Amino acid sequence: MVGKGKREQKIAIEAVIVAAITVAGLALQVITGGFNREILAFPANLILITAIPVLLILFKGALKHLASGSLSIILISTVAIIALYMGLVPGNSAKSSWPFTLIYLALLINLTASVLMRLRIFKFRKDISFMLNHIGLLILLFSAGPGSADKARYFMRVFEGKVEWRAEKSGGKERAEAVELPIAISLEDFEMDEYPPKLAIIERNTGIALPEKRPFYFEANLNAFATIENRTLTVDSVVYKPGYAPAAFVRVTDIYSDEATEGWVSCGNYFQHFKTLSLDSTYCVAMTSPEPKEFRSKVEAYTQSGKVKNGIIRVNHPMTIGGWKIYQHSYDSARGRDSVWSLFELVYDPWIIPAYIGMIMMIFGAITLFWKGGKS
Amino acid sequence: MWDNFIWFSLACMLLWIIGVASLYLNKKTAITGNILISAGLALFLAFILLLWRDIGHPPLRTMGETRLWYSFFITLVGFGTWLRWRYKWLVGYSVLVSGVFIAVNLLKPEIHFTNLMPALQSIWFVPHVTVYILSYAMFGAATIASFIAIRELKSKSERLMPLIDNLTYIGLGFLMTGMLLGAIWAKEAWGDYWTWDPKEVWAFITAAVYVIYIHARVQKYPLRVILWILPLAFVMLMITWLGVNYLPAAQGSIHVY
Repeated sequence: MVGKGKREQKIAIEAVIVAAITVAGLALQVITGGFNREILAFPANLILITAIPVLLILFKGALKHLASGSLSIILISTVAIIALYMGLVPGNSAKSSWPFTLIYLALLINLTASVLMRLRIFKFRKDISFMLNHIGLLILLFSAGPGSADKARYFMRVFEGKVEWRAEKSGGKERAEAVELPIAISLEDFEMDEYPPKLAIIERNTGIALPEKRPFYFEANLNAFATIENRTLTVDSVVYKPGYAPAAFVRVTDIYSDEATEGWVSCGNYFQHFKTLSLDSTYCVAMTSPEPKEFRSKVEAYTQSGKVKNGIIRVNHPMTIGGWKIYQHSYDSARGRDSVWSLFELVYDPWIIPAYIGMIMMIFGAITLFWKGGKS
Repeated sequence: MWDNFIWFSLACMLLWIIGVASLYLNKKTAITGNILISAGLALFLAFILLLWRDIGHPPLRTMGETRLWYSFFITLVGFGTWLRWRYKWLVGYSVLVSGVFIAVNLLKPEIHFTNLMPALQSIWFVPHVTVYILSYAMFGAATIASFIAIRELKSKSERLMPLIDNLTYIGLGFLMTGMLLGAIWAKEAWGDYWTWDPKEVWAFITAAVYVIYIHARVQKYPLRVILWILPLAFVMLMITWLGVNYLPAAQGSIHVY
C-alpha cells in the first residue's frame, strides 16, 4: 500500500487529468457543437475496440496507472455528474456531447486496464465475481457506445392491404425524407381489443367526476350497476358496432325521491359526436373513450435477400427478420380500433448479441454479489 | 379492496410492533416475536395478493402500489437480517419505515383505477419492479445502519460495517438485476435496451453512487467520507423512485404512469 500522502497526491493528479479531459470536451463542444457518432460507424468502432486492449498490452508501463481504482471512482463520479445534468436540465443533449464521449472513452480504457491487470493474477474462486461484473460491463459498454454507431431506427407506416418498404428515420425531431429499406412489410390486418368504456357522473362545466375527492368510474357492461352519491345507475343496453362509437342506455334513479331519468350515453368517436345524459342543471352521466387493451398487426415481412416471414406483431412482441426487429409502434389514434394503418418501428442493431452477452454476464455477476456479500 | 387497507395495515403494524417489543422484552426466547412478525408479514402479503386478484393485474403500476410492496419488503429485509445476523434494532427501524410508507398510502393513495396498458403486459413487468423494490428495501436498511455508524464514528467502532457492506452488496445485486431485466424488456418493448429515459438517467445515477461506495470501500477510503455516500445514494434512489415524475426534465418519460 502506498503511503497516505502519496495516495492523496495520486488521487489529486488523476482528478486534475479527468477535469482536463472534461474541459477539453467542453472546448470541442463549443467548437464543433456536438459529437457526431457516425464517425464511429463500422469499421471504426471495431478498430477502437481492438486498439484499446492491444495498446494497453503493448504499453505495460501505462497499464498500471490506467487501471487505478481511484481513477475508476473519479471517472464514475464524473459520469454520474453528467447524468445529473441530463436528469435535471430539460431538453439537453448531454448524451451526444463531447465531454460525455471523452469520459465514456476514458472509462472504457480504465475498465479494460483493470480487467487486464486482474487477468494476470486470475484465480477462479476469488476473481469470478469481479470478472463477470467487469467484463460483462465492458462488453455492454463497447456495444452500447461505439457499437451504437451502426444502429439504425426507422418508422414505417403501412396501410391495411398494402405493401410498404419506404420508411422515415426515427429519433430525429424534424420529419426526415423517406428512404427505401432492404425490408418490406405487407399489412394484412390491424386489430385492437379494448377495455370497456367507463361511465361516471360529471360536473358539466369542469368535467370533474363524482364523488368529488374519490371519483368513481365503472365499466359500461350490460346490466352493470353502481351507486354514486345519492343516485343508482343501471346499464340496460350496450351497443358497439364496427365503425361506430360505443353507446350505453343508462337508467339513473334518485335514491330518495325515486325519480328516474334514462337515455343513451356515448363517448363519440372521429365522426360521431359524444352524448351525455343530463341529470340536472349541474351534473350529467358521461362515458370515457375505451382504452386499448391490446393491438396487433397481422403481417408478412420480406427481405431483399428473399426471406419471408408471416406473423403477428404486437407491443412487447416484435418480429425478428434478417437482423432487423419490427415493433408495433402505434396506429391512427383518432380512429382507434377502426384505424386503417399501423405504424411500425424497425430497428437494426448488429451489436445486440454482444450487448446481451454482457448483460447476462452482469446478471450472473449480480448473483455473485448475493453470496459474496461485503466479504472480500 | 383498497378500502380495507386501513384494517389490514393496522393489524400488521400491531403484530409487528408487539413482535419487536417482545424481541426486546423477552430475553429468553425469540419465538413469540418471530411468530408475531411472520404473521404480520403473511397478513400483509395476503392483502397484496387479494388486491392483485381484485384488480386483475399485478399491483405494481401506480406509486401507491409500489409503496405497498416497499412496506412489505422493508420489514421482510429487517426481519431477514435479524434472523441472519441478529440485529434487533434493524427490525424495529424497518417496521418504523414500513409504517411511514403505510401512512403515506393511507393519506395520499395515488391509486387510480386504470387499466393495464399494452406496454406493461409483459412477463418482465413483475420481476423488473419487484426486484427493484427489494433492492430499495435493502438500501433503506443500509441507510439506517449508515446513520448509526456515522454517530459511532468517534468511538472508532466498526461493528456495523460488515452489515452495511452486506446490505449494500445485496442491494446492488438486486438493483443491477432490476436494471438489466428492464434493459432486456426495453429491447422487446421499445426497440432499444437503453435510451437515457429520465427514469433510466436517475436509476443510473443511483447505481453509480452505490458502485462508488463499493469501490471506495475496496480502496479503503476513510469511513468518515465513505459513510456519507450511502445517505447521498439513498436520496438519488428516492428521486428515481418518487421524484422523477415531478422533474421538468422528465416530462414525456416512458416511465410516468
